[in-house]
Amino acid sequence: MRTRSGGHRPSTLARLCKPLLLLLVAAALLSGIAGGLLRAGLQPPGAGGGWVGRAALAHAALMMIGFLASVIGIERAVAVKLRWAFAAPLGSGLAGVALLLGYAELAAGLSVLAALVFIGVNIVVVSRQRADHTALLLVSALAWLTGTLLWAAGLGGEAVLPWWFAFLVLTIAAERLEMTRLMRRRPGAQGSLYLLMAALLGGAALSAVNAGLGGLLFGVTLSLLALWLMVFDIARRTLFAHGLSRYMAVCLLSGYVWLGLAGLAWAATALGGPWRDAALHGLGLGFIISMVMGHAPVILPAVARVKLEFGPVFYLPLALLHLSLLLRLGGGVMAPQWRAIGAGLNAAAIALFAFTVIAAAWRWRIRHGALSARESQA
Amino acid sequence: MNADASPFPYSGPEALRLPILQALTRVVDPEVSLSIVDVGLIYGVTVDDSRAHVLITMTSVACPVTDVIIDEVETELDRVVPAALQIAVELVWEPPWHADRMSARAKRFMQW
Repeated sequence: MRTRSGGHRPSTLARLCKPLLLLLVAAALLSGIAGGLLRAGLQPPGAGGGWVGRAALAHAALMMIGFLASVIGIERAVAVKLRWAFAAPLGSGLAGVALLLGYAELAAGLSVLAALVFIGVNIVVVSRQRADHTALLLVSALAWLTGTLLWAAGLGGEAVLPWWFAFLVLTIAAERLEMTRLMRRRPGAQGSLYLLMAALLGGAALSAVNAGLGGLLFGVTLSLLALWLMVFDIARRTLFAHGLSRYMAVCLLSGYVWLGLAGLAWAATALGGPWRDAALHGLGLGFIISMVMGHAPVILPAVARVKLEFGPVFYLPLALLHLSLLLRLGGGVMAPQWRAIGAGLNAAAIALFAFTVIAAAWRWRIRHGALSARESQA
Repeated sequence: MNADASPFPYSGPEALRLPILQALTRVVDPEVSLSIVDVGLIYGVTVDDSRAHVLITMTSVACPVTDVIIDEVETELDRVVPAALQIAVELVWEPPWHADRMSARAKRFMQW
């Protein structure tokens, strides 16, 4: 048998850790969705149990810390190849379980520890590559910690959510900034992004002391960031590619539309308008889950070592997500029942995406199993 | 095939130069729909009596897809390199990747 270099294989501990992390991430996602459905006025399966009530109360923490922060923590730990880096997603994942069991203080403590480890991981990233995008990743980790400290101190959503969203938005912006290096940089592109990032953090900080002014700054900045991404992101080029690259570009560009709308809704809410659901879920589902759907076919093979056979069927959950969000946020303003129906279909879109990913993994195994069999017969 | 005459330094048997270039060109960065050769991620290939040694970089240290790309490089090289040779893919960060390393085709695609 041929010898390969093999120096980049994941450690045994990392491999053992992954099934546990997968369980924690899935638990946070499923319970977060169940809690969200209850908040929207639906009765999810198991609604009689106490955990669903707790999941409804902790919906934002389950989705943003238990699920998204854990996914980002896993990604980063896989990238830096350091065993201790997995402590970040482990902490945020366990924080989700603690919330479901009713141990809110333990959850806050675990989340603070996870954020501290994640900051350490990003210091390693910056020390290995001193670049604009790695510095921005470190700033995003600091935003996670800030939001979590405010949460642990007992502050409400007006103070905490802007910091947690800033963590997620800065993470995405940093990754997109890194990709823009493949395009000719236009004058002012980098400078304007730094201004936007500073304004976003300023809006998050101001929200804790002046919700109106802070929310206005935060929302307007989100919309301007959407414009920046639409103008400078490589998705404008890769939209004309094919297959997975085009699908990712569609996810990105449609996500940017929701980012722009969510920013306007956030600003309108700060001025007293009835757009809170549009602000939170235009951002959380329309923008962030679109990014997740776009990158999952590339990231999953890296973190779970599962190969996927990409196909046009991946557009179905994406279309359902956007249409159901339109129904929820557009129709929901006119009639409350549309909000509940839309929320149910949002959950269906995420479930359909999960099913699509599982089916794509099976398709890959069947196709490549058949190929291997043919090659061995030849 | 890449339009650039020599996208990376190569040292080894001439008979393997083109097959190795073609193998590496088959590895595509899915996000940008360009081969890793076009993006300029291959810093050099050396083939001697015992091994085929590839120096590769990534655009970001925070990229979790590194191992997947290296796996694909090894799989593609496995098809063209004689079985007696070890395949060694070494990830390096110096010099840092820069857009100047992109091929003419890649720059055309990105509308430079």
